[in-house]
Amino acid sequence: MIVTYNWLKEYVDIDLSPESLADLLTMIGLEVEGVHSVGGGMDDVVVALVEERAQHPNADKLSLCRVNSGKEVLSIVCGARNFKAGDKVALARIGAVLPGDFRIKRSKIRGSESFGMLCSEKELGLAEESEGIMILDPALELGIPLFDALGLKDTVFEIGLTPNRADCLSVIGVAREIAAKLGKRVKYPEFQLKESGAAITEKASVKVEDPDLCPRYTARYIGGCTIAPSPAWMVNRLNAVGIRSINNVVDITNYVLLEYGHPLHAFDFSFIGGGTVIVRRAGEGEVFTTLDGQERVLTGSDLTIRDAGKVIALAGIMGGENSEIRDTTCDILLESACFAPTAIRRTSKRLGMHTESSHRFERGADIQVLPSALDRAAGLIAELAGGTIAQGVIDVYPQPVEPRVIAVRLDRIAQILGVGLSGDAVTEMFRNLEFSVTPAEPGVLQVTVPTFRVDIEREIDLIEEAARLNGYENIPVTMPEVRLFSDRPSRHQRLGRRIRDILVAHGLSEVVNYSFINPKSLDRILLPQDDPRRNCVEILNPLTEEQSVMRTSLLPGLLETAARNASFRLLNLHLFEMRRVYLANQERELPDEPVFVAGLMSGARDPEVWNRTTEPVDFYDAKGLLENILGSLAIERLKFEAVEPEPYFHPGKSCRVYSGEELLGLFGELHPTVQENYGFEKPVYYFELNFEQLVTFSADVSSVSPPPRFPDTFRDIAMLVGDEIASGAIVECIRGNRIPEMEGVEIFDLYKGSSIPAGQKSIAVRVRYRSNERTLTDEEVNRLHQRVVANLQKKINITIR
Amino acid sequence: MKEKLETLLQEAVSELSLLDSEESLQGLRVKYLGKKGLLTALMKGLGALPPEERPIIGQMANVVKDRLEEKLEAALSRVRLARKEEKLRSERLDVTLPGRRRPMGSRHPITQVIDEITEIFAGLGFQVAEGPEIEQDYYNFEALNIPKDHPARDMQDTFFVNDSVVLRTHTSPVQIRTMLKQPPPVRVIAPGTVYRCDSDATHSPMFHQIEGLLVDKGVTFADLKGILTIFVSQYFGAGTGVRLRPSFFPFTEPSAEVDIACVMCKGKGCRICKNTGWLEILGSGMVDPEVFRHVSYDSEEYTGFAFGMGIERIAMLKYGISDMRLLFENDLRFLSQF
Repeated sequence: MIVTYNWLKEYVDIDLSPESLADLLTMIGLEVEGVHSVGGGMDDVVVALVEERAQHPNADKLSLCRVNSGKEVLSIVCGARNFKAGDKVALARIGAVLPGDFRIKRSKIRGSESFGMLCSEKELGLAEESEGIMILDPALELGIPLFDALGLKDTVFEIGLTPNRADCLSVIGVAREIAAKLGKRVKYPEFQLKESGAAITEKASVKVEDPDLCPRYTARYIGGCTIAPSPAWMVNRLNAVGIRSINNVVDITNYVLLEYGHPLHAFDFSFIGGGTVIVRRAGEGEVFTTLDGQERVLTGSDLTIRDAGKVIALAGIMGGENSEIRDTTCDILLESACFAPTAIRRTSKRLGMHTESSHRFERGADIQVLPSALDRAAGLIAELAGGTIAQGVIDVYPQPVEPRVIAVRLDRIAQILGVGLSGDAVTEMFRNLEFSVTPAEPGVLQVTVPTFRVDIEREIDLIEEAARLNGYENIPVTMPEVRLFSDRPSRHQRLGRRIRDILVAHGLSEVVNYSFINPKSLDRILLPQDDPRRNCVEILNPLTEEQSVMRTSLLPGLLETAARNASFRLLNLHLFEMRRVYLANQERELPDEPVFVAGLMSGARDPEVWNRTTEPVDFYDAKGLLENILGSLAIERLKFEAVEPEPYFHPGKSCRVYSGEELLGLFGELHPTVQENYGFEKPVYYFELNFEQLVTFSADVSSVSPPPRFPDTFRDIAMLVGDEIASGAIVECIRGNRIPEMEGVEIFDLYKGSSIPAGQKSIAVRVRYRSNERTLTDEEVNRLHQRVVANLQKKINITIR
Repeated sequence: MKEKLETLLQEAVSELSLLDSEESLQGLRVKYLGKKGLLTALMKGLGALPPEERPIIGQMANVVKDRLEEKLEAALSRVRLARKEEKLRSERLDVTLPGRRRPMGSRHPITQVIDEITEIFAGLGFQVAEGPEIEQDYYNFEALNIPKDHPARDMQDTFFVNDSVVLRTHTSPVQIRTMLKQPPPVRVIAPGTVYRCDSDATHSPMFHQIEGLLVDKGVTFADLKGILTIFVSQYFGAGTGVRLRPSFFPFTEPSAEVDIACVMCKGKGCRICKNTGWLEILGSGMVDPEVFRHVSYDSEEYTGFAFGMGIERIAMLKYGISDMRLLFENDLRFLSQF
């Protein structure tokens, strides 16, 4: 809502500066989002007199003028031709800054010096188009600032209204709020209506056939109007609030709309067949051209204004081309009606037509203001367009609406606000809001709420009014008194935080990708057509195709982020994301939203430094990272298996991670085709873990044992085995001896190459022995170790080196 | 013999005073005190002395030996100290060369802000609650007193999955789900991802909110002011100005927007606060009785307040970020600064 300071002052005495007024409005809930001064900083544009106009010596199209600015006589070069000596004009003196940050400087034009500029309306921001310079009323006083002289100095407030405050979609409504806060009374417009000639009922009639959608319809007939441009005061006022002047009658309906907040519509009466207006739902599929020239196809739930033969307006939204005010219009039927909010909203939504009118009807119009707004507009039309107002008014109002009466309890106010307000204070605030108050039983007030406050229906609404008028700043600051209880962060939170910390400590940076992805990205990660992750939740109204389905995997987002970073030549990528994926669930209306932890690693393992050579990350970096995470979560019965790789992994360089039989996640090198699809030349390693599974299978804390008191001894086994034998099998076989003194088995060397027979590899394993009771002797260790080696040779085809 | 010993000591001491290295001092020790040294050689003549002189000379020889050892040790430690000092003088690293850093990642600024805010409210006894992002229209709107065909729906541009399922437009449905699950008292904080179809420098189609809800007997608007004042001073620094001004949310009444004194200009007025001196950071209010009706809480007995804030907005203010999209581009040159 846009209002101006001067306009507001017509309805309420304001002794505040525009800045203070803006603060006042903001603090009563009408948030002022912008304050602009009109004509402010334009004091160097003054009323001046052209004393002489002569031909410029060196340019045919320019004239050289002697201009009296009231203080001095200046020489000025001007290119316009629409003025003569003796005219009063708008002079921008040197130093003036015109709209568009155009600074007037002393200049030399074709050899003649110019000490200022004569301005056009357009240059002063007073019109969108203008021809020649602005010629002023000769009566204006010489030398005074132009905007003062024209009464155009004003301050414009842009108010961001919340949808509940339909009553403030008008200058009077805003004035009412100011008056309430300042304890003043609103001065409603006063005017006298001169009716003459025939009674309206002889000219026109109104039939409301769907009163459920149109509870009240009023109309007046104004005959013999002359359509002409509006006077300057009207043009300027509309201009100040951003509305372009069209003609006197249309401008008046706009003016009254802004003043009272009630939408009006003026019909050219000659196009209303039979002079009969009918308010009725449209026929299904009925076609109608609104005055913006658009053809609209209507449905049976759209309310129309029509005559016997055709639709003439889309009720409460927009008039029709067939009956709009045109230059030749003479007789006018003026409508001031009230329409049901939800019906207006449905039609305006469906047709994508959001108008000043629909905006107000959707939020609820004041059913009692209709006649006032109608009379105000009729009076202005008679005054500005020279029409004659027919006698009487049509008012179809089958079920008059009574103002609401609501009881408010003073102790309930205290219960909600935490501070008590006296009955007198509350009564005064409500009366300032034009509510009437009668005391009922002790501590209870009966409040009658005027119909313009459609938002006030319940006691709590009145309590809010009291809080608002009293000022939120006058409510004390206290701390709630509550019972103590303890609730430490959930396992989800704690384990999530632990995992994030480990990932960050391993050099991975967390990313946050959009939850929606491009459905085509599922092709790029090679998901087969029947993969359940193809079954994405789709958004009906996505912003773009790239953001049209909810992700079922974190991989596409991570790959896109990685590719974007790679395009910035950031090639050492260590990223992770720990967020939800959205998996459709046949049994529930809502999908499952499990959290996954996924990460992507590519490029160098460590940042390059002057004294360290870096190596590329590989499969075992990813595995080590997962081992650290899973170890820290104390996942039991952890198992890595290279079975059934996902389609987006390299089949020979990927792995599944289990706790027992439960799948926790996967990791490995991405399939070369996936890497190609995202433009990666170096291998990209990816892991994904189902966080929900981790939470389920985490023991949270692993059991610990004291440090050993006796020394350990180790024995190494170097062996040749076939390539196809997994090192894990050898380790498992050694562990399988279940020797209590065997503390650990680790692979410490792996070699394949020229000195090793083809198809074989050399593996070296270190077996560590220790007893918790004493120091083991060499003989004891040898005996144990011989058993281990023998068993290994028996079970696996190895050659001891 | 006695003179010889004295001479030997004198010679050794004067020779010693000329030496300045550990090696030469060790050489001197060998020369005089070694198995084939001069003192040993001299003492071989002991047997030629009369028996009564032998102990005297023998004792004297020990004294000479001890004196010489003492002098040698002193000279050695002097030389060692000099050598250490020389070493300390000569050894110099270029401390301006960069260190050998282990790679460090970072938590996303959104995560950091969520964690920080959650921590403050956890300290006040609020529990973390969560809810689905793909949500029923009922929880996202209806139960929050935002009926269908109501203009309040225009406040939030909604992504739809179907007629009755939306991408939640705020974290407020978690209020409803929480209250339906438990009787009062309720004290929860609900951080989460939300969606609105809007995209520019200050709007992202996906963003984050954190929602707070406190319901109990005797909870008042004054308490809401208390909690929010505490939060602002904890998060933005003690003494940061706070103001509440009337606003409208369908699920709270009275409702308030909460502004803090501009963190950039301290309230003087600047570009960030559009010269108002204030920054809007959250919406809040007393839970509307209509909401309580939907969850079957008795609104005469229980009162409560709710508040919600945008994480991105807070992160942008905290880190001076002017374009929200930066938070979702995941440029590592940006993320590595957190």
